[in-house]
Amino acid sequence: MSLYHTAQSIEASALGQTIRESTWLFPAIESTHLLALALLGGAVLIISLSVLGVGLKASAAEIYKGARRYMDAAVITLLISGVLLGVSEPVKLYDRQAFWVKMISMVIAIALTYFAFNPMVRRGSTGLRVRSVTLLTMAAWLMVAIAGRWIGFS
Amino acid sequence: MIVLTLIGPQGGRLLAGEPMLEGWVTKLADMPWSIELHESLYMYAITESTHVIAIMLFVGTIAMVDLRLLDISFRRVPVSQMLAKMLPWTIAGFVVLTITGAMLFMAIPVRTYHSLWFRLKCIMILIAAVNIAIFTFKVERDKAAWDLGPVPRKSKICAAISLSAWMCVIVFGRLIAYNWFDCDNINSATMLQLTGCPADAG
Repeated sequence: MSLYHTAQSIEASALGQTIRESTWLFPAIESTHLLALALLGGAVLIISLSVLGVGLKASAAEIYKGARRYMDAAVITLLISGVLLGVSEPVKLYDRQAFWVKMISMVIAIALTYFAFNPMVRRGSTGLRVRSVTLLTMAAWLMVAIAGRWIGFS
Repeated sequence: MIVLTLIGPQGGRLLAGEPMLEGWVTKLADMPWSIELHESLYMYAITESTHVIAIMLFVGTIAMVDLRLLDISFRRVPVSQMLAKMLPWTIAGFVVLTITGAMLFMAIPVRTYHSLWFRLKCIMILIAAVNIAIFTFKVERDKAAWDLGPVPRKSKICAAISLSAWMCVIVFGRLIAYNWFDCDNINSATMLQLTGCPADAG
């Protein structure tokens, strides 16, 4: 079965139909997605600023301990609400370049965050490497947000 | 400006300055740059994307400060430091949000002006602003005493109001895009009054 056919069958699913046919569900899920985005922004930023030496004076590892749960909560909420939004209109998304740009940058952003940024910050790394990873991680999430908003325009 | 004129019912309208504002937004809609912004696919899309990015900066940093003020997280960071170090980023986000927000309004002035969600968003921004003023001029004045100690109740209340108000601002802002309560979709007297829509539009 091709990817396009998969998109068609997801669109025809009960869940997809329910969200698509409801007046309030899509906007409600969309709003949740946006709230989680703001939380993610705050959590990533407060750790990043500390790593870059322009934030709180406490060590980045200390800030990380406080912010990690909000980062995780935000990422999980974004993933669940994002999947629900996608399930309601997969055929449209299949045709949108912005959607694929978002998916690729999202995989990069999650990988960078959980396999590079988080471990390095937790270990208390300092120096050019962790700073570069921080800037890359922020840029990746920025790309995800921009491409995400762009799905609505393209 | 809209909120300043919110001074009770006059002539069957909730906003006393409604006719004046109505004329103002109608004129705004006829300005060439308003039409250009509205019709330009890329400029409008770039403005709206920038608005969303700035939310991450603005509400994101506010949320972190509020979580500290609620005594939930970052408890080993002094409150004074949390406020001082986050504020520049919050202000940067605010500046970008105000500019892009004004541009988005100017691109679609008449519809946005009558939008119930836009009006609710303005009220929430007003509540958040008053809350900030109360926190700045009253609540945080003795913060030296609780910089690292238990946060007083008054401060927690401010943080809770702040979090809820900004969450509402985000949700109401997102809902402006939906046309459920546009002037041509409503006809109840209450809704007409709340949105300031002309009675013959529906």
